[in-house]
Amino acid sequence: MAAAETIERRPASAGRRLISTFIARREFGIFLVLVALILYFNARNSAFGSKENWATLAEYGSPILIAAVGETMLLICGEIDLSVGHVYALAPLVLYKVAEHGWPLVVGLVVAVGVAALVGLTNGLVTVYLRVPSLIVTLGMFNVLNGISLLISDGSQQLTPTNPTFGKIFGVGDYHTFYWAFGIMLAMHFVLTMTPWGLHTIAVGGNRIGASESGVNVSWIRIGNFVMCSVLGGFAGILTAQHIGTTDPLAGGTGLMFYGVAGAVIGGTALMGGSGTVIGTFIGVAVLTVLNNGFTLLGVDAFYNDLFIGIAILLSMALGFLIGRIRGKPA
Amino acid sequence: MSVVADNGAPDVLRVENVAKSFGAITALRDVSLRLGKGEVLGLIGDNGAGKSTLVKILSGYHRPDSGEISLFGEPVHLRSVIHARSLGIDTVYQDLALVPGLSVFHNMFLKREHTRLGVLNNGSMRSQARAQLDSLGVNIPDVNAEVATLSGGQRQAIAVARSVFSDAKIILLDEPLAAMGAKEGGLILKLIRDLRERGDVSQIVIAHNYLHVLETCDRVCLLQNGRITFDRPTAETSVEELLTLVGAEYRAPDA
Amino acid sequence: MSEIEQSTGLSRRAMMTAALAGGAGAMALPAWATEALAAETGKYPSHPKWRFVFVNHVTTNPFFVPTRYGAEDAGTMTNTTYQWTGSETAKTPEMINAMNAAISGKADGIAVCVVDPHAFDSVTVKALKKGIPVVAYNADGSTENKRLAYIGQDLFNSGVEMGKRIASMVAKGGRIGLFIATPGQSNIQPRIDGAQSALKGKGYKIDVITTGADLPGELTKIDAYVQGHPDVKGLFAVDAGSTQGIAQTMQKRGLQAKGVKGGGYDLLPITLQLIKSGDLDFTIDQQPYLQGFQPVIQLFLYKISGGLMAPSNTNTGLLFVTLGNVDPYLQTKSRYEGSDKAQKYIKS
Repeated sequence: MAAAETIERRPASAGRRLISTFIARREFGIFLVLVALILYFNARNSAFGSKENWATLAEYGSPILIAAVGETMLLICGEIDLSVGHVYALAPLVLYKVAEHGWPLVVGLVVAVGVAALVGLTNGLVTVYLRVPSLIVTLGMFNVLNGISLLISDGSQQLTPTNPTFGKIFGVGDYHTFYWAFGIMLAMHFVLTMTPWGLHTIAVGGNRIGASESGVNVSWIRIGNFVMCSVLGGFAGILTAQHIGTTDPLAGGTGLMFYGVAGAVIGGTALMGGSGTVIGTFIGVAVLTVLNNGFTLLGVDAFYNDLFIGIAILLSMALGFLIGRIRGKPA
Repeated sequence: MSVVADNGAPDVLRVENVAKSFGAITALRDVSLRLGKGEVLGLIGDNGAGKSTLVKILSGYHRPDSGEISLFGEPVHLRSVIHARSLGIDTVYQDLALVPGLSVFHNMFLKREHTRLGVLNNGSMRSQARAQLDSLGVNIPDVNAEVATLSGGQRQAIAVARSVFSDAKIILLDEPLAAMGAKEGGLILKLIRDLRERGDVSQIVIAHNYLHVLETCDRVCLLQNGRITFDRPTAETSVEELLTLVGAEYRAPDA
Repeated sequence: MSEIEQSTGLSRRAMMTAALAGGAGAMALPAWATEALAAETGKYPSHPKWRFVFVNHVTTNPFFVPTRYGAEDAGTMTNTTYQWTGSETAKTPEMINAMNAAISGKADGIAVCVVDPHAFDSVTVKALKKGIPVVAYNADGSTENKRLAYIGQDLFNSGVEMGKRIASMVAKGGRIGLFIATPGQSNIQPRIDGAQSALKGKGYKIDVITTGADLPGELTKIDAYVQGHPDVKGLFAVDAGSTQGIAQTMQKRGLQAKGVKGGGYDLLPITLQLIKSGDLDFTIDQQPYLQGFQPVIQLFLYKISGGLMAPSNTNTGLLFVTLGNVDPYLQTKSRYEGSDKAQKYIKS
């Protein structure tokens, strides 16, 4: 094809391409849903849009977002981690124990994150080499972690060890957990879209055999993503423990895990693997946080809370899919 | 078995007495064949005869239980797909090894990505994919499209294009025409012939359509009961003979 | 013991029975009295329909059903409303989130179960700074919290009383199982601490067992414990679910006949029935209805007086319910104990 004769179309600028890609994608649908929810709640109760409510939203949603981002990577590569909510409880406990023995907080942090990584590694090794479905492996793991948490804490809550500097960096203060959550989200988005690791994660989830035939180290990818998910979960737990001042062996748990997975799925990550985005997860978690906070502001009784949130989740997902379908993207 | 092929050039690939079992199932008993430079070898045999297994061994995906493989005269142990690729062997699998959720250009460069300091260089991959597909005459309007949105023929073309441009000296094609209409299949056959014209690429093609085999291949081997039981230049055989040979196991013994 | 019981030596029920037994005519009330009873509020001026937010740690736990009725009834009397929110599974961040939402939503008063030693302190101060009165109910787990008052049971003391009771029922040196749903939780841990302090030094072999927060799991845990310790002489719990679990286990295995004693807290219907049948020896009535009623009344008084009537610490009382006095509880399906939605005047 002679270059001189062809009409060359200059490729669209990266910025324009980004925007048009976003609009065309399924995430746009759920983004519209999010905007609609915000407008609705704000109209019903102007306190929703107040500065301090935004801080409340950020505080509530940040741990969920971090766990959800970890789950997103795992879900994309075809696995799931049911134990992320329990690493969330264990990690700050480990930090507490290390500090109790007189070690500096930073050492505690490193050890705690290391323990979280070990949990992820175990999940990964058992899933990959013993060929047990990750659903089962992490089911067993979360019970094990629960037991360990209760044992080392004697079942009781503890005052989180901290000092002004450490606390400020790791979660104390308005929005401090949110900065971390947002930063982690951006970092994972970058990994997923701009690195070979991200490509291979999608490949493993979309066509594991094919990926293997192409030479992708499938085992590495799966184990690596398990480690990443647990590390993020543990780190989120440490941030929360700093933020509220208490280290609770019963923190997080399956509730956090389900919200994390739900956030990812509402944002467009397929439960079956092979597709998903971190930006979508961010929107999905935002939807969940807004729903929760909005209903409370409206004075909804706790008994109705679950019912309403459940219905709202189903509707949000349906709407998101519908909008995406109208725009012509495959479900 | 002679080391030198009929056209006088040395063998690029030689397989001697290769065997492979999966647990209680013996896929290959004692397989020997050779492939010359620029040759197209057709591999036929009934379903389940072990053709895919043989291709997977040659591509580095499986390791043989016994036997020897030589490339360009040197014995090799193929450790992995990446290793085989580095030695010049590439494969177009039956399932195409394409990731439905990734774009065309990402699929074409899977495990061969262009990177700058660890970060993907999407721009460079995009333009090279475009150029490669255009040069093959493949009709794929947008290399950013997700493979899931393409037709079977387009996907097959991507898989073949991937191998064509991979600097491989030996390309293995496992049933490249399976589940394809006449028009799309035509493109693949053309690609195989074009590769043959180049002269420096050798191919092994697994196929069930003996007409295609005779049209595109130089030689044909029959894999039966874990062994190569027939090895002849295509010019010296016919569709009828091949049909008879393959169907022989199922014919009732004469009364 | 309730304050009334302490000072008069009579149980509350016994007193009411005596008061009304005297006059059959007391049963028929004059019309003006009925009207007065039907009136909704006292001589209070008109006021905005204030909204008080109750932040609870186990929003769907049946123990708090009478609490909600209490809040509702007080709301009817004072022409205010209440919102019931918080966490289902005792997750502190969810409760803090609810409190923050209440503050942003400009609630008129907050009643919160302070189940964490530190986490609620700053958000309580935040509410108070905005002029929102905050009281603690049911649990008062923080020594630093600036809540205006605590309305609930004196937890440690109730545990001590139970401990004394246990010591009078079980022979010295016997094995005792003490069951707690979620250790460390500030509304039940002090009870078990109180019980253990009362039993210290008396030579009992005490096993402290965690049963978890849901009823079926609690029952299995207790049953398993009994199977593993056939020499146990007493089974006692500090929360509603574990108490019911003990009662059911004692019935299933006929433990009373084997000389085992059992008791606990709260008035779940099955617990009461099994006291009647003799399988369980006692349960402790925390009067959960008052834990919803009192906060509303006190917050209302605070609001209507512009802050002059400050909420005061209120002990909602402690009463041992045994075979001797369980009948009224069983016979009256009542809103006060949570087993009937209808609002009734109960004549004892």
